[in-house]
Amino acid sequence: MNARHKEIGAADLVCVFMRGLLVQASWSFERMQSLGFAYAIEPVLRKLYPDPEEYESRLKLHMTYFNTQPYLASYILGAVMRLEQERASGRNRAADVQGLKTSLMAPLGALGDSVFWGSLKPFAAVMAVALVITGSGWAPLLFLTIYNSVHVVLRAGVLVSGYRSGGDAVDLVARYRFTRIAKVLKVTSLAMLGVIPGMLPAWRPEFRFAVNAPDIAVSAAGLAFTLGIVGLLRQGGSPVRFMLGLGVACIVMAYAGVI
Amino acid sequence: MTFVDPHIVLSALGIAIAGGLIGLDRTAVGQFMISQPIVAGPFTGWLLGDATTGLLVGAALELIWILDMPVGSFVPADSTVASISATAIAVLGNPGAVYVPGIGFSILLTVILAPITMRADQVARQFNARLADAAQSASGPDLRKRLARAHVSGVGVFFLKSLAVYLAFLPVGIVAVRLFLAMPDPVHRAMALFVKLLPLMGAALAARRLSMKAVDLFLLGGFVLAALMGQVFQAPALVILPLAVAGGLLGARYRERPS
Repeated sequence: MNARHKEIGAADLVCVFMRGLLVQASWSFERMQSLGFAYAIEPVLRKLYPDPEEYESRLKLHMTYFNTQPYLASYILGAVMRLEQERASGRNRAADVQGLKTSLMAPLGALGDSVFWGSLKPFAAVMAVALVITGSGWAPLLFLTIYNSVHVVLRAGVLVSGYRSGGDAVDLVARYRFTRIAKVLKVTSLAMLGVIPGMLPAWRPEFRFAVNAPDIAVSAAGLAFTLGIVGLLRQGGSPVRFMLGLGVACIVMAYAGVI
Repeated sequence: MTFVDPHIVLSALGIAIAGGLIGLDRTAVGQFMISQPIVAGPFTGWLLGDATTGLLVGAALELIWILDMPVGSFVPADSTVASISATAIAVLGNPGAVYVPGIGFSILLTVILAPITMRADQVARQFNARLADAAQSASGPDLRKRLARAHVSGVGVFFLKSLAVYLAFLPVGIVAVRLFLAMPDPVHRAMALFVKLLPLMGAALAARRLSMKAVDLFLLGGFVLAALMGQVFQAPALVILPLAVAGGLLGARYRERPS
């Protein structure tokens, strides 16, 4: 086998990145993203292992249980590509690829959930909702632009970082400062959430409350309602129950002549 | 206009297919957030010739489930099905001008059906386990093909799951909206109020998850900023939101300052 064939180039990284977009396509409770990971890494394994038996055993190794945050799965894919390359070329035959996957998937899952699902998504969504309810029709495009300009760049960037570092998670956290980003996004999202009741008198007509009261009183009532729901939520309950409760309360108020 | 109006039947079928494709973004393909209510709602409305209804549905529902994260084996309520169904039911059940009470009723109806979407998602994921078993049992030259086939079939499973849910929801919803139009006036007033309160409830649900405090200072700061700038200086949301973000950034930096 020519050593040249054991090199991983930009085309391989692009191929794995594209396949990584489907990492959850066959998500199941038992194995979660196992098939997705194997599917994404398969072209690289085919290139690195020309011996059919070795290729099959490496591919089956990657079909075992795997689950992490789908964007940061790119980082593990990059790191595994590097280790498989070192193993196949003989530089490090004892590379513990499975150990690396196992050690990274849980912490990166928690980190990714916090950064992307718990911080970036609410940040972009709160901004978009605040704009829509005050009359901006293009806010959905802003939402997609804000979210994906960060998501796609990071998803591609961590794949390359993973490949270059071979799975050095300390380097990943230091380079991208994920925890700091998550904290800042959460705080700014909270500030923008306060804008929603604060702008209540300027909401678009379909959402506006037709009451004969000063604007500041309308805003204060909106804030009181919001904080009241926050207080109730502290006692527990799902969003579905709260929405059903709100619907019933509105009907009761209508029949009681309150509205 | 009858329920079996061919235009409505074809529109509902088209939305079921489009909804199935948009829903792939939730788990199976990419996660570019086109499946979020703030995008999926207006897009569905645009397909049906009434983007405004979709925009209102999207803004009302976006923050409700925004922080219900798909962590581990937890399957959150399907906000994509809720927003697309509510938009389609509101538009097809009462074609013509935007009717806010009809939108409220459509949202309430899809919220009642939310547990069904969660169950459907669980069934799809259980079925995917069979795909993984099929791929795992292959060996030799077949392994690569079986892996690819099983994994990509998962996309089909998620699509068919959503398609089936829409095909069940939309006819029921359209009939229900027709019945709703004949209901007494207090019910219509109640549904109009329900829609107006949903963005505030969404803000409360998001705030509860973003901060452990009953009254968060950043939220209050955003409120004061919006009330002051909006009501004293008549500033639009496009000016207030960047100020709220800047305030959040400064606050985060101040909070991290060593004491």
